[in-house]
Amino acid sequence: MADLFLEARRISKAYEGVQALDDVSLTIGRGEVHCLVGENGSGKSTLIKCIGGVVNPDSGQIVINGRAHEHLQAIDAIREGIQIIYQDLSLYPNVTVAENISLNQFVERRASFVNWNEVRSIAARGLAEIEEDIALEALAQDLSVAKRQIVAITRSLTQGAKLIIMDEPTSAITREDVDHLFSVIARLKQKGISTLFISHKLSEVFEIADAVTIIRDGRKVGDYARGELDDKKLTYLMTGRTIEYSPYRFPPEKKQSAPLLEVRSLSRQGHFRDVSFSLWAGEILGLTGLIGSGRTELALALFGLNAPDSGEILLDGSPVRIGSPEDAVRLGIGYLPEDRLTQGLFIGQSIGDNIIITVLKKLLGFLRLLNPRKIKSTQEGWLSDLKIKAPSARVRAWSLSGGNQQRVVLAKWLATKPRVFILDGPTIGIDIASKSTIHEIIRSLAEQGMAILLISDEIPEILHNCNRVLVMRGGRLEKEMPDAAAVGEAEMLSLVSGKVSNGTAAT
Amino acid sequence: MRTLLRRNEFYLFLVIVVFSLAITIVNPAFFTIENMFDLMRSSAGMAILAVGFFVVLLSGGIDISFPAVACVAQYITVNAIIALGIDNIWLAFAIASAIGIAFGAANAFFISYFRIPTLIVTLATMNLFHGAMLEFVGTKAINAGQLPSAFKSFGLADVLSLQRADGSTYGLSVFFLVLVGVVLVTWVILRYTVLGRVIYAMGGNLEAVKRSGFNIRRTQFFIYCYAGLLASIMGVIYVSLIRFSSSSVIIDSELLHVIAAVILGGASIMGGSGTLTGTLLGVVMISILEKNLVLLGLSNFVQQFFVGLIIVLGVSITHIQKQIRNRRSLTLVRE
Repeated sequence: MADLFLEARRISKAYEGVQALDDVSLTIGRGEVHCLVGENGSGKSTLIKCIGGVVNPDSGQIVINGRAHEHLQAIDAIREGIQIIYQDLSLYPNVTVAENISLNQFVERRASFVNWNEVRSIAARGLAEIEEDIALEALAQDLSVAKRQIVAITRSLTQGAKLIIMDEPTSAITREDVDHLFSVIARLKQKGISTLFISHKLSEVFEIADAVTIIRDGRKVGDYARGELDDKKLTYLMTGRTIEYSPYRFPPEKKQSAPLLEVRSLSRQGHFRDVSFSLWAGEILGLTGLIGSGRTELALALFGLNAPDSGEILLDGSPVRIGSPEDAVRLGIGYLPEDRLTQGLFIGQSIGDNIIITVLKKLLGFLRLLNPRKIKSTQEGWLSDLKIKAPSARVRAWSLSGGNQQRVVLAKWLATKPRVFILDGPTIGIDIASKSTIHEIIRSLAEQGMAILLISDEIPEILHNCNRVLVMRGGRLEKEMPDAAAVGEAEMLSLVSGKVSNGTAAT
Repeated sequence: MRTLLRRNEFYLFLVIVVFSLAITIVNPAFFTIENMFDLMRSSAGMAILAVGFFVVLLSGGIDISFPAVACVAQYITVNAIIALGIDNIWLAFAIASAIGIAFGAANAFFISYFRIPTLIVTLATMNLFHGAMLEFVGTKAINAGQLPSAFKSFGLADVLSLQRADGSTYGLSVFFLVLVGVVLVTWVILRYTVLGRVIYAMGGNLEAVKRSGFNIRRTQFFIYCYAGLLASIMGVIYVSLIRFSSSSVIIDSELLHVIAAVILGGASIMGGSGTLTGTLLGVVMISILEKNLVLLGLSNFVQQFFVGLIIVLGVSITHIQKQIRNRRSLTLVRE
């Protein structure tokens, strides 16, 4: 890309003595799709905030369209066409799609009155420009996350965006929606609009990026063209270490005994139909499928949160009724929910309290009051067992990184000593190094004899960690693959989506 | 969701009709133009308070200082008019408005500069304003004889006069015009100004409004000053209606009724949703309850019970809706 749109020159920024960014430079050409990759805490967010004028760097310049800015202000960045789409998308849930797209424009113009025809026409034109069709009168809160994202992109576009910065846009949407998002980005590219894309998922980086900038610990590791990198190299550059995957081996002789968990033609109207499978102790059974395929619904049924209409669940060969999470916990079933922030953690409470919440009854002492000594030893035990990086058990859950938070959720469930552990998207939004630690924990749990049901969108995660895989589609168990190691990614993808692979299906 | 809200209003309207019919069967005098005019006169003030409360609620805040603002505004205004000796209703409105806006600005100041939760701020200022007035202005009641005549004639003024069979007249109070004005102005602000749309947006996602570069502080000053202004207008209307001014009127009677009316009208206690039509229907419903339960042979305590019930149910419904939405995101059923 000879035609340069933006250049960040030697940006440094420190927060209270911590060097968040140290001499980082970055260039983005017109129409370029640029990926910014780095682990949590590597300085990615600070860098995009500097580019957007939200944070002022201690030194360095932002050059936009050949004009250098020492102290770029947010409003100037917007005028120059830089739009940041944060993870929360900054939409107004209670107003219509049309207004979400157009309102900021009226605000920016300092208009006093709104012209409703114009509100609709701005929105309609914006959506047409990226060939999207979303009902203008729908409320944002009634849309799926993927559609809300499109609304946010359209808003940026109508505000004259030349560079759209997306902060981990794919962390909360399905594979299908990711493909769709990428097609939108491709359309933006044709219009000469650049994208700066932040992602944790390596496969996505290779799919979409023209160029990749890697940062680690606030320093730039380097700029790379797409062809220069592969999975291993990128992982190494990001984390500073090599992470080897070897498929999980489940010794077949263990399968001689009876299965620990057995599900027989379980159905629930509109959620899943006629699902049967078995899970042996010591196994890591993968379960994958698109959102809406019934995978999470099935998992919730096993945890007593989504009562099935018919079929049975057997534990150790005898039928059990799981009517509530309490039943599930008593039977030795644990469930790590998909959304750790809202369903897995008491985000405002200390991590120690989060860990012991599931086992309070076991920590009672004199007069059935909580015994502080037992609490302390339980908390400290888990912090060290799962290598949770936190100064003490008293720090609040929100202050930890995603990977450490997830370990707290793991600890909370492991404290109940489950025999069957259902993990729904255990590494969503977690960076590679922490991801591999979580994978190691899962493996060692299985090796100790726990039966694991691992649910994930990410096909590599499933293939690298499970010994056996179930694929769900449209509420049915589509296929069971007895040996995960023997399955290719492309084959898996076409199974999941139901589309026939045609050589380039992976993209 | 939007159609559902419209439906809410429709149902509320139906309930009002059914309820009115029930009362009419017991007492045919209820469904007469004269009684409707009376109802209008006596509840215009409450409607104005409800509009102010609604605007604040919409923005994601809550202002419970309005009864105190109305009380203080009317009492100081009446005393000032007596002291000045200029017996003019316009001057009364001017003085009251200045007081209302000043109090609103004080609320906005604490809310926007110190970012204190709005409920706490207004709970405190409510006592602050009222307490200061009791201490520094006094507590002496002003009865009909002492009340400046401007208030009395304003309270009796009609925009439309009709004759009864016996030749005496009754009419539609001038309060109706004030209310229409307030509703129209508020409607235009909420529907057609950027400020009004930002008030909705603030109730939905305050953080996003900040990021859009809009001046939140100015908007907050507008919102709370506007609520203060409406409360002070109500104060003047109230004195004119009951022809009596004291330092403790309005405070106890209006707070919960207004909150109940606005919630009944479908506004979310969490902010961001609701309509003016709903709010006004809510006021109609509460006013009818307030004045006519006795006609159905029920005691006045039942009315208190209803008001409490409405608030509890209204708030619960908001939370249930939120839970349903959460559950939807839990089971991940698309669209």
